[in-house]
Amino acid sequence: MTRPQQWRPTAATSRAAVIATTGTVAAVLAGRPTLLVLVAPLLVAAALALAGRPRRTPSVGTDFDHHALHEGQGTTSRLVLADAEDVEQVTRVASPEPFLAVRPAGGRVTGLLAAGPVDLEFSPQRWGRRVVGEEAVALTSPWAGFRWGPTTIIGDQVRVLPIGLHYASHAESPQPRGLVGAHRSSRPGSGTEFAGIRAFVPGDRLRRINWRVSARTDQLHVTTTRAEEDAGVLLVVDAIADHGRSGGVDGAESSLDLTVRAAAAVAEHATRQGDRVSLRVLGRSLSQVGYGSGQRHLRRVLGTLASIQPGSAHDGELERLQLRATEGTMVVVLSPMLTEVVATLTATAVRRGLPTLVVDTMPEDAEAGLDPAADPLLADLAWRMRRLEREQVLASLATLGCPVVPWRGPGTIDEVTHRLARRARQPHLGMR
Amino acid sequence: MTGQVIGQVMPPWTRGQWALRLVVLAGPVLATVAAGLTGDPPGRLGLGVVVAASLGFALFPESPAGTVAFATVLLTWGLGSSPSTPPGVVLAAGALVAAHVAALLASYGPADLPLDRRLTLTWLVRGAALFLVAPVVWLLARALEGQPEPAGLWVTAVAALAVAAVVATTALGPRSRA
Repeated sequence: MTRPQQWRPTAATSRAAVIATTGTVAAVLAGRPTLLVLVAPLLVAAALALAGRPRRTPSVGTDFDHHALHEGQGTTSRLVLADAEDVEQVTRVASPEPFLAVRPAGGRVTGLLAAGPVDLEFSPQRWGRRVVGEEAVALTSPWAGFRWGPTTIIGDQVRVLPIGLHYASHAESPQPRGLVGAHRSSRPGSGTEFAGIRAFVPGDRLRRINWRVSARTDQLHVTTTRAEEDAGVLLVVDAIADHGRSGGVDGAESSLDLTVRAAAAVAEHATRQGDRVSLRVLGRSLSQVGYGSGQRHLRRVLGTLASIQPGSAHDGELERLQLRATEGTMVVVLSPMLTEVVATLTATAVRRGLPTLVVDTMPEDAEAGLDPAADPLLADLAWRMRRLEREQVLASLATLGCPVVPWRGPGTIDEVTHRLARRARQPHLGMR
Repeated sequence: MTGQVIGQVMPPWTRGQWALRLVVLAGPVLATVAAGLTGDPPGRLGLGVVVAASLGFALFPESPAGTVAFATVLLTWGLGSSPSTPPGVVLAAGALVAAHVAALLASYGPADLPLDRRLTLTWLVRGAALFLVAPVVWLLARALEGQPEPAGLWVTAVAALAVAAVVATTALGPRSRA
């Protein structure tokens, strides 16, 4: 609700009243009916406007159809009026906000209250914290006699979640180490995936006996299967800087746009598979979401992603950071790989034997973020040097056995996960 | 290039707003020029003041420029030498009503506010109803023209107009919604 306002005569009422009074008085004094003909319509207009003087003070607020939004989704802002018996017309003017589309275009709408609701539709075009619904509202009484407002309605802080892109994947998790899940484990268990046939030993279930082989060999044999387990996925999101230009959900994507949307897509996919998902943000806040599964946990992950603000942590916190990933957890690093500390963290995870992959979120057309005071030539040179260093880092990671894939939308990590799963089934030595 | 320059110079009005502002500009000028139909053309100074005030009125519909423009129109007609009530005055009253209603619609919000169809139609009907008062008063004036003026005629006429306004208010005024 808003601060108290008062009804005031409109400019039209004042004009009509002044002209009608002046003209009528002049007509009477000068005996000129011509003047009375001229002002008679305005006299009636002023009388009608003044007769509709409002007696109640309305209060204005807004209500949204939805309070949780993904980027690109829209919600309707409905005007909530109380004590509005004297109101005939409403004008609403929304404040322009970055990455916030409004319908009608321009965020301006007017209409008669009796003709139906005068609504505005808002649609955030980028993830993050957005102020939605900040607007000015003015009301007028019948015959535009009096105006109330314009008064400002403070908008709501809405956390806009990154868009969730569904995709189907049959890639196995490289090292599932959970209890119950959808991934084929390397260990035998009571799953459905065929593992082999072996001689019966006490303790085997009778329904596992393979009668055809037992009859042929004159010895009891059982069919063994692989266990099915869930896996842990650790998403490491590099939010130290944002490179490139963001054009919203349908426009160009900056590095942080790609990072956040890719992380949201992987988290959603892993949650749907029943895997445990954890999130670690490398940025100003170093926020973390522990392992968990289910829709409520996914909303927590998406909410944390939506709260990301680019920036670097203070006092070497990043350098001291440890991922604390347990054995079997697949580490997905989403980064434009322009920072040494992210490369070091990734290399450490690879050396620990964790299945690790890097999703490269550097936009192809990213340019140096120019400081206005900087020499453009020097800035361009520095940017090219950073990109060269980046190529070296990516090459080094590939040498260590860490696959690097540029984000190309849903399904990007499928092929890599397949390869990691194949590699995980081969015997290897891990460094501790 | 030329289009860009024009775009920067011109106000960011919608098409509807352009139409309204043109009516606001033309109304008082037409009402002044209509005095010339009676064979009593307006003075250059008067016309100049009306044009300048109307321009200000069109740019800023809520400014006192509208009152100045309308008052100058009244002055032009009041200073005319014709003793009768010419039919041209009905045209002038219509032009003033049109300018008043257009300015009122334009001042419902910022200059780039698109017009609402229902609201515009409502005010077109209201404007037409307001305009009808002018021919009625003109007919009354013509009917009484040349007749000996009874004592208190003007006071009675103005009182009758006020009563008519009150009756119209009661009939057309706001009603509480269910």
